[in-house]
Amino acid sequence: MEKLELAPHVSEIARVLGNKIDEKDIEKELDTYLNLYRVSLETAKRSVVRKLGGDPNALAMGVRKLIAELSGTEMSVDLLVKVLTVNHKDIEQNGETKKILYGLMADEGGSIAYTAWDAERFQLERGKVYLIRNAYTKEWNSQPQLSLSTRATIEPQPDDSMKLPEGMDVPSYGPTNATMVELKEGMNNVTITGKVISVEGRKLETPNGPKQVFSGIMADASGKVQFSAWHDFGLKSGDAIIIRGAYVRSWRGIPQLNFGERAGVERTKTSFGSDQELSKPKLRSIGELESIGGAVDVLVRGVVVDIKKGSGLIFRCPQCKRLVQKGLCRIHGKVDGQPDLRIKAVVDDGMAALTAVLNKDITEMLVGITLAESLREAKEAMNPEVVEEKIKDRMLGKPIEVRGNVTSDEYGLMMIVTEAELKVPEVRSEAASLLSELEGTQ
Amino acid sequence: MISREVAWRVFAGEYNSSNLEIKGEGERAPSYIVTPLGAMINRVFLVGVLTDLDNIGTGEEPLWRARLSDPTGTFYVSSGQYQPEATATLSKIEPPAFIAVVGKTRTYSPEEGTVYVSIRPEKVTIVDAGIRDYWVLETCRSTLKRIAAMADAKDMAVPTVDELVKLGHTRVLAEGVVKACEHYKDVDLGRYRAMVVDALRYLLPEYRRDQETEMPREMATNPEELEEEEEAKEVDREEQVLALIAVLDKNGKGAPWDQIVDEVKRLGLDKTALEEVTNSLLDKGMIYEPVLGRMKRI
Repeated sequence: MEKLELAPHVSEIARVLGNKIDEKDIEKELDTYLNLYRVSLETAKRSVVRKLGGDPNALAMGVRKLIAELSGTEMSVDLLVKVLTVNHKDIEQNGETKKILYGLMADEGGSIAYTAWDAERFQLERGKVYLIRNAYTKEWNSQPQLSLSTRATIEPQPDDSMKLPEGMDVPSYGPTNATMVELKEGMNNVTITGKVISVEGRKLETPNGPKQVFSGIMADASGKVQFSAWHDFGLKSGDAIIIRGAYVRSWRGIPQLNFGERAGVERTKTSFGSDQELSKPKLRSIGELESIGGAVDVLVRGVVVDIKKGSGLIFRCPQCKRLVQKGLCRIHGKVDGQPDLRIKAVVDDGMAALTAVLNKDITEMLVGITLAESLREAKEAMNPEVVEEKIKDRMLGKPIEVRGNVTSDEYGLMMIVTEAELKVPEVRSEAASLLSELEGTQ
Repeated sequence: MISREVAWRVFAGEYNSSNLEIKGEGERAPSYIVTPLGAMINRVFLVGVLTDLDNIGTGEEPLWRARLSDPTGTFYVSSGQYQPEATATLSKIEPPAFIAVVGKTRTYSPEEGTVYVSIRPEKVTIVDAGIRDYWVLETCRSTLKRIAAMADAKDMAVPTVDELVKLGHTRVLAEGVVKACEHYKDVDLGRYRAMVVDALRYLLPEYRRDQETEMPREMATNPEELEEEEEAKEVDREEQVLALIAVLDKNGKGAPWDQIVDEVKRLGLDKTALEEVTNSLLDKGMIYEPVLGRMKRI
């Protein structure tokens, strides 16, 4: 590396060493590490600082990034952020209690969850701006998370050095009013009105003794949601209620409304129409479902663009129902597999896609072939894939409407289908209205 | 989350005007074609008429070239040994046929500065006219969304992704639109609006005729208008002949020419007039000759 390119690194090392060392000496050291021993620039800088008696962690060696650019794999990163929330927590580490901080931080482009693994060292304050150096990121629930360990440093900055876009700034801690359709993973302090469609109490064993939880389905005109009440509010199906202080967490891949002892539950006179009307599945776009992370009993329209492997005639282990491959179950070894039919179809609406899983009954109905017939055809052709081919012929490229629960995981959205219909929507009336709209504007 | 590349709905008229490719960096990173309206496409879903199909490879190493036409132009599809599923299906199809294709974008640059785009199919399947019509409608809707986003971007001095998202466009589209603005500079939105209008009219032939009959007949005195009236009559004849061909096509192999000639006499058409009508229908791609001496509707 040429002298000219070294200059900024030399001056940075000088800064870390409190400008007590001559830059010429630093340059000589750095040059030796880099050009004689050919170590990486990062290692060279750390080594020079250590050798000359400084703290290598004070080097701005992480790359300054925006939160939106974080991938969840950064080993060392610098950020300029505003702290949105600070929460305290005690954890057990090697038999000792340790105080840590966690919460949310943001910059102009986005926000991120953080954990500072030492509450003494990182005295973060809500609403203040900090320059964070040498933090690292990890992926958690497919989102990057920021960690501040002993390597990291924080430098308070003037409050006005960061202007956050509207709506992203430090939350005012006011309640959020929401309808069922707006509930998203991670929401807190939600106020919501709805009607209890079904509710069921059950006992849970928790570390603090047995606890009763009341779970069921609630609905308003916009849609349905699963809920869990962690306290006995005496809920009955048919109750119209306002809940204050609820929160949303995913359970088995579906965002679920939760409310506990501290929440307020009141009966209301609001009318929600008949249960039948409320229980009807609502049509949602796949993109919407992707952004909220799943939903209970919804309708989705799209086109079948792929039939995944493992569709068609399959064999299941008689004991655990797992897929049997080459006569072997993953758990039970060699078994006599029971035949079954299923389809894993990719449904795509041009904006987003989900995998729809169709069981035997729906497969038989859609494809017009029974399990017995598929077995016979597969035997005749000496190839179970003939059934998959038949499914492809019948479904690929066709518009489809599917109903079911949508969950999400690292492979994207999945729907367990309860109803499916291959149907070509009527085009003329919409084409005509689009045309008159366009000709009106021309 | 590893999300699957979505299958964009885009007309040939828009797709073929693309010459911006964004190559993915690193292994397995996807590449995209950015269209003039800002669709950032890695995968497409198309439905159209398969008009030509040739194997320009060999029996062992097939390479099928297919042309797929939609109301706005022609998609070029090529499928070889590395697309075994699509290649096997294509090789069994007899054009013309309505087919649906799920495929990946491809570019070809014979020389610096020129980029040709085509499609490498993943899935090919035979469909019917109803599904084609639905695809045309969906693609109109999708194209209109892009036109709206592009129009908003044009109103901004320097279009940015965040501003476009604020106006209600999806982030994916906003990113594509910003890239398209930089690369294609001033995109002619009028051309794309007209394309959508044509495609919608394609779905509504009766709508088109309604407009023509609305024209007051007695006013039709100048030659141009008289010509239009003639055209209207021709359209009627074409409809009649078309219906006749469908009726006479009893075994799916096409309607025998002799029978058509006999039947049209009742409509007051002689053989020469009939030939004129069938030639016009052939040109429009509404009928074809499966074997010599038989006509079949597409």
